[in-house]
Amino acid sequence: MSTIRNNYMNPYLAGFLLGMVLLASYMIAGRGLGASGAARSVVVTTVASAAPEYAEQSPFYAEYFAGVNPMGSWLVFLVIGVILGAFLSGAMANRMRFSVDRGPNIRVRTRMFFALGGGLLFGLGAQFGRGCTSGSALSGMAVLSTGGILTMMAIFGTGYLIAYFFRKLWT
Amino acid sequence: MAPLIPQGIINPELTLFFALLLGIGFGYVLEQAGFSSAKKLAGVFYGYDFVVLRVFFTAGITAMTGILFFSYLGWLDMNFVFVNPTFLYSAILGGVIMGFGFIMGGYCPGTGIVAAVTGKTDAMVFVIGMFIGIFVFGHFYQSFESIYTGHFLGNIFVYDSLGMSRAWFALLLAVVAIMAFTITQMIEDRINKVSPEQIKTRPSYMLPSFLLVIALVVFLFLPEERRSNMREARPSELLAQVHDNEAYISTHRVILEIKNGRDELILIDTREQSEFERFTLPGAINIRADEILQRHWRPLFNQDHRQKVFFGNGNSSAMQAWFTAARAGYDNVYILNGGLNRMFSELFVDAEMPDTTAYNLQDRSNARFLYEARQFFLEGGLVDEQADRRQRIKAPEESEIIPVIGGC
Repeated sequence: MSTIRNNYMNPYLAGFLLGMVLLASYMIAGRGLGASGAARSVVVTTVASAAPEYAEQSPFYAEYFAGVNPMGSWLVFLVIGVILGAFLSGAMANRMRFSVDRGPNIRVRTRMFFALGGGLLFGLGAQFGRGCTSGSALSGMAVLSTGGILTMMAIFGTGYLIAYFFRKLWT
Repeated sequence: MAPLIPQGIINPELTLFFALLLGIGFGYVLEQAGFSSAKKLAGVFYGYDFVVLRVFFTAGITAMTGILFFSYLGWLDMNFVFVNPTFLYSAILGGVIMGFGFIMGGYCPGTGIVAAVTGKTDAMVFVIGMFIGIFVFGHFYQSFESIYTGHFLGNIFVYDSLGMSRAWFALLLAVVAIMAFTITQMIEDRINKVSPEQIKTRPSYMLPSFLLVIALVVFLFLPEERRSNMREARPSELLAQVHDNEAYISTHRVILEIKNGRDELILIDTREQSEFERFTLPGAINIRADEILQRHWRPLFNQDHRQKVFFGNGNSSAMQAWFTAARAGYDNVYILNGGLNRMFSELFVDAEMPDTTAYNLQDRSNARFLYEARQFFLEGGLVDEQADRRQRIKAPEESEIIPVIGGC
């Protein structure tokens, strides 16, 4: 365990590099990074092609029927890149192994339950926030957007407010 | 110059290639930083590991500083940059829900994907949860719509919302971040019981912090943004535009837009507020010529693709507004030719549908257009279906083509 912990990159260097990737994204495409947008495209495409009668009734799926292919978007290719990049880094640092990441005092089943619930809430919240920690909070901070910074403060503020009640999960 | 793709410097067909490339960098750095561990990520809320705060804020400050200087130098045109729109309550509600998601799940979408790739089964479950959450949003979209699309404040900047200058806000943010880095390091050391010897072996961050603060202090004392100077139009060019009628938009065009309820024009009433309150065109907003350059109107004028039309009673107040706006470098601004007076004289002088056989095609369609517009304005837009059908039978097919720009 201790060898794994020590070979992560210096966080400030990692932050600087991430900032440069983000800056490059703005300089090249005029837009920031994002992750949840791709998940939305996957959901829209899957649901709209599997159950078109259902999807036609909701404006949420309108982009699919407007002839736009949600899977051919900037955010989808960005996330395909993220998958490749993470694989590259994980393989090079020899960190690829199946495991469950959890606090010391909870069972695997509990962890899985909360991971599912947390993912659900994050997916839902990212729709209201028009982006997640990357698309709304980080990119919003880079361009100093009011909405992005509000979302960022709400994410971390809520996290700290409720951390005490979920402490058994992590400590 | 930049952004390169929207400005056409890089072929737009390569967009997805660059998305892939940037994504690889994004994923690589996230994994290298240790973001593939939920325990590490959640540490930010319990004080045992502040890696999230360090990486996140360093990245944000780096990109922000870069954008600040590049846009100042005119290398990055902010008009082409996507600035996250602000839907007030939706942004806050979304953040609160995500805060719960973060504590419970231990990941955010980006880090969850990275962790799932490196084999964390809990992260795979998290990603599945994310799909379900998005589906839930889609399913109840109609109930969420009012809050989701409500309280839209525009693509506004936080320094404008706070009434600060961009430079001051950037400096403040950087100082707060450096303070947060120092304090959280002390908290982390205490919670993890790190020995003083170990602390001494750490690299010092004095130099980069110092350089950042110096750079932002320098930014504070730089003269007014160069971009506006570079773009400031020459008076002779503007006079030529007025002379050649390029600055004008016809009353017909504006009537047509209002009648069709389209959203392409921004109508700006340049008269006094009292006159505006008494009567104005549908959808118009009131900005006097001396208010044009106020900072909070900037997002409105920066919508380059929409035509901004100034109008007054005649031409004079609109002309003043137009000169101010065009001189400041705002694009796509026009004067309603003849103002409201001309518009009304055209609309209301003779209320009869003229004998169309006497005109040529162009005149006939003009006359018909005015007749319909008159009906629209007099009846408040409520055209009864019968009358509509009668009109259509009367008018030959080809006269449906209405000259969009004519008359001036």
